[in-house]
Amino acid sequence: MKKQFIYLFCILCYLATHGQEKFTVNGYVKDNRSGEKLLGVNIIVDNTYGTTTNDYGFYSIRLSKGTHQFEISYLGYKVIHKEIFVNSNTKTDFNLNEELAELDEIMISSNKPQKNIKSTEMSVVSLKGETIKKLPAILGEPDILKSLQLLPGVSSINEASSGFNVRGGSVDQNLILLDEATIYNASHLFGFFSVFNSDAIKNAKLYKGGIPSIYGGRLSSVLDIKQREGNVKKFGGNLGVGLISAKALIEGPILKGDKEEANGSYMLAGRRSYIDLFTFLTEDFKNSSLFFYDFNLKANYDINKNNRLFLSGYFGRDKFELEKLLGTIWGNTSASLRWTSVLNDKLFLQTSAIYSNYDYTLDNLRTGSEFRWKSNITSYNIKPRLSWYINNNNTLKTGIDVTYYNFKPGKISPLKGSSINAEKFSNKFGLENGVYADLKQNITNKLSVQYGLRWSNFSRLGKEEIRIYKTGKPLTYIPELDIYKENKVTETVTYKSQERIKTFNGIEPRASIRYLLNDNNSLKISYNKMYQYLHLISNTSSPTPLDVWSPSGRYLSPQYADQLALGYFTSFKEGKYDLNVETYYKKLEDVTDFIDGADLLFTEEIETQVAQGKGRAYGLEVQLNKNEGKFTGWLSYTLAKSETKVLGINNNAYYPSNTDQLHELNLVGFYKLNKRWDFGFNFIFGSGRPVTYPTGKYRQNGLVVGDYNNRNGNRLPVYHRLDLSATLNPKKGKRGKWIFSIVNAYNRKNAASIYFNEIGEINDVEIATGKTKATKLSFFGIVPSISYEFKF
Amino acid sequence: MKNISSALLILLLFIIFSSCETDVSNDITLAKSPLRLVIDGGLERNTVTPLSKQQIRLTTTTNFLSTTDQPFVNDAQVTISNGIDSWRFIHTNNGFYENSEIIPEIGKTYTITILWNGETYQGTDTLVQEAPKFDKFYYKYEEETTFSDAGYYIKFDTTDPPNIQNFYLYKLFKNGEFVIVPDPGNSDVLVVSDKFFDGKKRIGVYPNEDIFFKIGDIATAQQVSISETYYEYLKELFIQTGNVGTPIIGNPPPASIRGNLINLDNHTNRALGYFYAVDIEENTVTITEN
Repeated sequence: MKKQFIYLFCILCYLATHGQEKFTVNGYVKDNRSGEKLLGVNIIVDNTYGTTTNDYGFYSIRLSKGTHQFEISYLGYKVIHKEIFVNSNTKTDFNLNEELAELDEIMISSNKPQKNIKSTEMSVVSLKGETIKKLPAILGEPDILKSLQLLPGVSSINEASSGFNVRGGSVDQNLILLDEATIYNASHLFGFFSVFNSDAIKNAKLYKGGIPSIYGGRLSSVLDIKQREGNVKKFGGNLGVGLISAKALIEGPILKGDKEEANGSYMLAGRRSYIDLFTFLTEDFKNSSLFFYDFNLKANYDINKNNRLFLSGYFGRDKFELEKLLGTIWGNTSASLRWTSVLNDKLFLQTSAIYSNYDYTLDNLRTGSEFRWKSNITSYNIKPRLSWYINNNNTLKTGIDVTYYNFKPGKISPLKGSSINAEKFSNKFGLENGVYADLKQNITNKLSVQYGLRWSNFSRLGKEEIRIYKTGKPLTYIPELDIYKENKVTETVTYKSQERIKTFNGIEPRASIRYLLNDNNSLKISYNKMYQYLHLISNTSSPTPLDVWSPSGRYLSPQYADQLALGYFTSFKEGKYDLNVETYYKKLEDVTDFIDGADLLFTEEIETQVAQGKGRAYGLEVQLNKNEGKFTGWLSYTLAKSETKVLGINNNAYYPSNTDQLHELNLVGFYKLNKRWDFGFNFIFGSGRPVTYPTGKYRQNGLVVGDYNNRNGNRLPVYHRLDLSATLNPKKGKRGKWIFSIVNAYNRKNAASIYFNEIGEINDVEIATGKTKATKLSFFGIVPSISYEFKF
Repeated sequence: MKNISSALLILLLFIIFSSCETDVSNDITLAKSPLRLVIDGGLERNTVTPLSKQQIRLTTTTNFLSTTDQPFVNDAQVTISNGIDSWRFIHTNNGFYENSEIIPEIGKTYTITILWNGETYQGTDTLVQEAPKFDKFYYKYEEETTFSDAGYYIKFDTTDPPNIQNFYLYKLFKNGEFVIVPDPGNSDVLVVSDKFFDGKKRIGVYPNEDIFFKIGDIATAQQVSISETYYEYLKELFIQTGNVGTPIIGNPPPASIRGNLINLDNHTNRALGYFYAVDIEENTVTITEN
């Protein structure tokens, strides 16, 4: 291991010192209107060298003495061509103008697909806040997680399930970062909406594969969301009112004085749903409450030319209460402080300190047994990273990533003097470390590679009492009964505070290779190994806000996955169209599943409720984009399979995962009719998701019970839906914008589930009838909506 | 009274205005599968109204959407033993097997042996401990709420014995007939463990939150002391029979519920159901106008 690092270091030193006299040109690329820094901007010099701005809008390139042609291009912005004479290290900032801001221009064009073809990245999709807002949205609430599902390889189990699934992976296998802070649960309103306010989002990037070594901790994907930084030139904001929520955003410069551009800016956004304000309309829900709200904050300040500070935060809550039955409140809190520093013309250092928390309370309000249940997960994370722009052909990123976790699985306290005993489940502690190096290297004009290594390490720490089971394991599988039996606890061992209970190590190689066939065609291949030390344990088909995150430890092994992907990227008609085709194979080990009949809520010994097994997923993804003209959009198709195998489930054979879906087709289009009207639509067609039908019924304790044989052995009917939207942009000088949308335009009753049960009432009186039925549940029919936005 | 999941469901349906449930029983064809033996019943120790006989019922499974009666088994040999003595259970009618000599005792472990179709099935349960008495047994008129109808509801107070694990099942009878609703709330209400109220007096407990009575009805409620394995079995049973399809909460992927019968000859041909041994505390009241 060590040897390899030394070897790598030697190569790097060689690369760093090798070469003729060159100078560094670096700086920031900014939006000309707001002064916000833009990330992922393409910078091509002399039609040969290329680089992109990093997450902070910073770029650095090494050039020989002389005159160079710069081409700066970015999706939705006008391309800049500039000639720069280089004879010393130079700092040059670029200001890009938004294309839409030019009212004379009708045509929308995105940047040429060169980046897709030339970058070593594959299995990556990115969406801008603006694109998300143009898509038709349920109840007019644009949603990043729903928008991502229009891309190949990304889906969700149904409209009301939290989170999203990437390439057949489960929801907890996605690392969701909001300005670097981990978001542990991304859903509002039980999954109908995500916690991300689209107004506050600048950009979102999803890695489905070929994940660089700077990221770690989840198996299937990384969703990296960046919040807007705010306008450094002037104060402004916008207000929005939709059917479900109202929102406001303000932004402006910090300590601007008389300068044109301040050294810092801020953005503050807030949103609250108000569906609960209408509950008085129905007698039934008079004393109920249901709402969510969230706040996003971002501020940045340039201490001097080379040092910047960023502060960002998120706070969101959902509240739901039914009189005398239950109440629940859940939400995320995150805060991150970052310092970025340009150390010299080649070195860029960023250091972040991050706090993340997810908690929920569940109140049982039943008379006589009122109690409150509280559970949370908190993490503290520090990650310094050094980027070294060695030369135009080599960029090295290296850093460490340290996270300390505190899990509070649960605390029960009686409410209203009920006879429930107060109880506290013991806290769990963990420390996760990652050390990584990632090198991007242009070997020849045609061949580029990006490779790296991440070493991850997880320790379960005290103070905790660990149960020791009779056979060494909490569960024993009994084939005769086809069940797991809980083993007896023989003793408990107490570990002192900070004492190591169990340690795991993971070596995670990552690599991607791009071979350019010609200017318009490239082939790519990538491999990544990922380790995941936290498990989201859920005993429902799709996750809920009440699911519990559990750390690996003595009885729960880390999950790990290997993924290999191959891709072909091409563009034609001078970049008007581009086409990506990717295929992948993913192997997962030690994925968790609960055992049949698991009871997870209020259970301290979580290890007695879960089993670990393996999974495999493979598929083909095709995406065709139309980038120019009045009509733009994409067509995507996914052919995929995802299976799981766990001892004790489905007769110990592979079964389709809940996320399995053979075909999925998405057609997304935007049409710009004229200066005022924009139209959008999406059409989704997917084969039916897995469902388990009963193989028999019998009676027990007065009820009809179903018997089942194969988990997920049947399929729901096919899913298809058309959504439409229209945007009426303001007239020149006006500021209001209307957005109309119709989701599920032809009112298809898509099945969210089909379930089988006993008919439970006769003539409005509840009673077991002995009669059985199959019921299809559909979440929504046609949903029209209207919303209004006002910019100031 | 509906529980969490149905409440959530209703509210969500309310949010997404046009969501709906459709009966698709006629559109679905279920695959044929082999019949399994099913046991329903066990031994009941009841010192309040001593039973003249003990009975269990044997049936087989049938297609889930079938509208015909459950096929019963009349040709099995059934024996129950406590390790020392054993009792033959004789088929009477409709799959019921009876014995009037066996007297269940606290602390004993009972094993049932069923010989049917050339295969032997065996299952065991322990009559762990006596069910605590009702400290107070009464009924109360309650107005209609979001999740319950107006009517008389049975309630009781009871004290859990300290420092021992207890598991309870609640049963309610209307005019002598057992009543139950396939409701998602059953898994929280009809079976409980004393994990969070060990040794405490509980006041105003509903034996069933869904069943209400009218004036003139005779109501009987039972507090049944059950073994931990039976508790776990029933918990899973109630979770699954209360499945209302909403993926939001309480929607476990359906799976065969494993009972306690083992097929000694061919363990993949599992039997279903649970053979239990329990103790019962019981009280009866006639609803009158107060």
